[in-house]
Amino acid sequence: MLRISRRFALVVVTMLAISLLSLGGIAAGQSRKPFEGIKIVVFGDAGQNLKPFEWYKDKIKEESGIVIDQVVGVPFTSVYEKLKTEFVAQTGAYDVVVFYPAYLGEFAGLGYLMPLDDFAKKYDPKLDDVSTGVRELNCKYGGKLYALPYDGDVLNLYYRKDLFNNATEKANFKKQFGRDLKVPETWEEFLDIAKFFTRKKGDKLAGETLKEDFYGSAELAARGFSYAWWLARFGSLGGVYFDEDMKPLINSEKGVKALELFKESLKYSPPDVMAYGYEELKNAYLEGKVAMVIQWSDIQKKAQDPRISKIENRSGIAAVPGSRVGDKIVRSAPMPVGRVLAIPRTARHPEAAYWVARYLSVETSLHDVSSSETGLDPYRKSHYANPKSFAALLGNEEAAKEYLDIVAVNLENAYPELNIPGAGNYQDVLDLYINRALSGEMTPKAALDAVAKEWDQITKKLGAARQKEIYLKAVETWKALGIWQ
Amino acid sequence: MKDQAVRSRKSWQLTLIYASIGVLLLISLFPVYWMFIGSVKQRGEFYTSPPVFVPKQLEWENFGRALERGGAKGIKDSLVVAGLSSLLAIVLGSLAAYSIARYGTGGDNLSFWILSIRMAPPVAGVIPIFMLMRYARLLDTYSALVLAYCLFNLPFAVWLIKGFFEDIPADMEGAALVDGFNRLQVFWRIALPLAVPALIVTGLFCFIFSWNEFLFALVLTRSRVTTLPVIISGMVGGHEIMWGEISALSVLTSLPVAALALLLQRYLVRGLTLGAMRG
Amino acid sequence: MNRVTAAPVKGRDFNSWIDKRLPVLFVAPVVGILLTLAIGPLLFIFITSFMSWELVSAAAPQFIWFRNYLNIVLDSRFWNAMKNTLILLVGGVGLQLVLGLITALLLNREFKLKRVVTSLFLIPITIAPVVVGFQWRVIYHESFGPLNYIIRMLRLGNGFAWLADTRTALFSILVAEVWQWTPFVTIVLLAGLQSISPRVYEAANVDGATPWQVFRRVTLPLLKPTIIIVALFRVMDVFKIFDLVFLLTGGGPGTASESVSLYTYINGFRYFSMGYATALAVIQLLIVTIICMNLVKMMKVRRA
Repeated sequence: MLRISRRFALVVVTMLAISLLSLGGIAAGQSRKPFEGIKIVVFGDAGQNLKPFEWYKDKIKEESGIVIDQVVGVPFTSVYEKLKTEFVAQTGAYDVVVFYPAYLGEFAGLGYLMPLDDFAKKYDPKLDDVSTGVRELNCKYGGKLYALPYDGDVLNLYYRKDLFNNATEKANFKKQFGRDLKVPETWEEFLDIAKFFTRKKGDKLAGETLKEDFYGSAELAARGFSYAWWLARFGSLGGVYFDEDMKPLINSEKGVKALELFKESLKYSPPDVMAYGYEELKNAYLEGKVAMVIQWSDIQKKAQDPRISKIENRSGIAAVPGSRVGDKIVRSAPMPVGRVLAIPRTARHPEAAYWVARYLSVETSLHDVSSSETGLDPYRKSHYANPKSFAALLGNEEAAKEYLDIVAVNLENAYPELNIPGAGNYQDVLDLYINRALSGEMTPKAALDAVAKEWDQITKKLGAARQKEIYLKAVETWKALGIWQ
Repeated sequence: MKDQAVRSRKSWQLTLIYASIGVLLLISLFPVYWMFIGSVKQRGEFYTSPPVFVPKQLEWENFGRALERGGAKGIKDSLVVAGLSSLLAIVLGSLAAYSIARYGTGGDNLSFWILSIRMAPPVAGVIPIFMLMRYARLLDTYSALVLAYCLFNLPFAVWLIKGFFEDIPADMEGAALVDGFNRLQVFWRIALPLAVPALIVTGLFCFIFSWNEFLFALVLTRSRVTTLPVIISGMVGGHEIMWGEISALSVLTSLPVAALALLLQRYLVRGLTLGAMRG
Repeated sequence: MNRVTAAPVKGRDFNSWIDKRLPVLFVAPVVGILLTLAIGPLLFIFITSFMSWELVSAAAPQFIWFRNYLNIVLDSRFWNAMKNTLILLVGGVGLQLVLGLITALLLNREFKLKRVVTSLFLIPITIAPVVVGFQWRVIYHESFGPLNYIIRMLRLGNGFAWLADTRTALFSILVAEVWQWTPFVTIVLLAGLQSISPRVYEAANVDGATPWQVFRRVTLPLLKPTIIIVALFRVMDVFKIFDLVFLLTGGGPGTASESVSLYTYINGFRYFSMGYATALAVIQLLIVTIICMNLVKMMKVRRA
């Protein structure tokens, strides 16, 4: 007995000694690298916007000891379903998640995400530097911080400067429409110009004979985010999602008018426009097939990349067209997508995950939003104040300044996304029926009536009283930001 | 004279037949060809008009990038999942198949009940299986997929192996029983060795099904387990579709399966019709 | 059927106890696993289909009895999905049978490279649906895809935005499905053709029948059971079609190509309406069971 217990004591002492020693080791390491050896998994939509996680892998490891173990990419349009399935199941598979802030209301509201306020006190995410709209709409919910900004998406108007400045085209346009050819201020002007520039193969465009058909405009009409291209029109007409009793207002006259304007534009778009997601829409513009597009902010830097663009130095950027109210022009630039970095409540290493999120949102963001390798767009005041960083990319500092100014203007006219619980569901239904109206399956009025009916059902399904309360709270925020009537 | 006319008509007919076979084969193989050249095209060769039918030079880098971006892990995970689930299917399946074939256990009811599970729509299964795995805390593990694939592979294995056992005469087993072997020994020493080719064939079929499966893999996995179909489908970014990588990984996914299937060609009819047709 | 009838009972030890129950013990693991994985879930979807269970909200699930089923009956999107599935079913399986039969008849002769050619024909079956989906997406591309290029080259027209056009989206899925599964029909029918005894043809030739008459009066009737089995297998698979629709069009444009399986998936994993999704699943289970019962009947006839 004694012998055994002595041996036992020896083992215990040795183990204690070893663990103490190793604890000491960790403590010693901690002063240098707070998260030595911690592995984290990142989730996001596949492709260029996950690149920064690869780029800074080594630097992050060097500075913090964190190992980015895995970067999981999913298709652009499946982010909600993949993430939601995980949140429902709570396996703790991801530590940092990149998603679109429209889902913030649902994800934060149902307690899937970790509030970041405490971490933010420890490691400053420099939120004062962030564009107000992005900070208040994309990152906060119910007064708490749930996400850090990563991508400041907003829609802009892109147009071919060379065509708009061509003397022959200008003269012809004036002859035809009795006014000067210039960047469209309203959606009606947008359609006129789109019609004007739509040409057949063999016709002349800016003095040159066309080898292929040419189109005046192109839209994002594929399933997924086409609703935002409708919102741009709807918002400028003064449209809102719901009234104070949570009765959908999307099928109002304004809604129908917006959808008709959208559909009209497809007449002057390439024949396969119904399949245009981001990629196709971008290519159509960069290949020089169309005169104008409404697109996210990264197109301008892509247009200057000779590897993928045939319209180098010929792309102009402007505020999205609006609607004339009295003698004023009301514009509304939706902020579809946009990306934020958040930490699931089930994350195994929340603090390390926050460290990485902050690193990308603060330390490397200027580089990442000004690189043509990513699709990330500026969202910080320090980005807008730094045209120099964009100069190389956009040709010169002047072009960079113009670009940043326009993006900032469009952000000021931002049209908020519906970010209440069920946003994914509301949006998908809206997008579906807009798609059906665009493809001619239904009339605009019938399509939007159907959306209103389904929205009512979704609201009822999710608890009408609660949904209303959350929506009204969101409206308050929007009003405080001055982006809601 | 008449003979010659008949012969020339015959040869004309034959030419027509071979020509039609040729055309059908061309259509049938074109998408496969497209996948192969897609995997060796350079970046600029995807979005061109006219499309690039023959790449100027072979760009093997697509394979490297595809493997880096989760492809290597995909291959490993697919191998583990498909391998384990086929192994489980043939081990347990052969026992049940033997029992049903030789002793008529459970009668027709049992065997057709087993068959009907195989026929159920996967989408009806995936919702409850997701919930089940969630409660069992098995999501995103090998076990989740291996078990889920049992739902398809076990019934399949039972049916196919049962058919093979039915084709093997039972005389020898009967004789062995009379000689004093017990049933277990008869199964182990006599029936099973005869069925080894059948087990291999069945296992390979199960392997192919699991290797190609998409819906369950999509819903039940996250980051720790990612099979090839999920990796491939995830290569569609919002901002770019990685055609080169997708094609390269497609080639890596398809080659082993196509090779296996050709090996199995003799049994293909039987396998694909669950033994309804003894081709 | 080959069955072992003589089962000796010797001694009353443990071994013989095991031995007597061997048949049951052998099926036990399979039955156990399938019970857990199939009956449990079956009960689950059956019960859930009577509930309102929205994972999007925090609300607790509650029983609403037949309301989900009632809503499905009134749901135009469900009927649209049903219609699409039926078009795929009739058109797809029909085309596969015709093309498969033609190919089988063409291949049903001896020629030099027969084995190699048959193997090459089989390749599409082996390719993963995900891969098939992506390759056809490239092939169908409006401006950069080879299909439209060939159409334009042959001056047959300007081509289509195949997957983006309401008129062609469903048809495009159908073509990809036919491309992948015609070889299956071909080899099964080929096996059926080869099992017809040459003597039957000899007798017909003696009677002086034309090839068409031989085909109509001899080949087709003898091949009929095989055709029915193969058709039922395809009907069952096409009814469940998910992968190709998900990957090629995602159901779009609008809902022009949405299948019942995809609609169920969307309800389950995009809207997270578990009650509604499981009610849809139950309906599909019933339909598949009916098709399956017919198939089983045919298989039993063949075995007899």
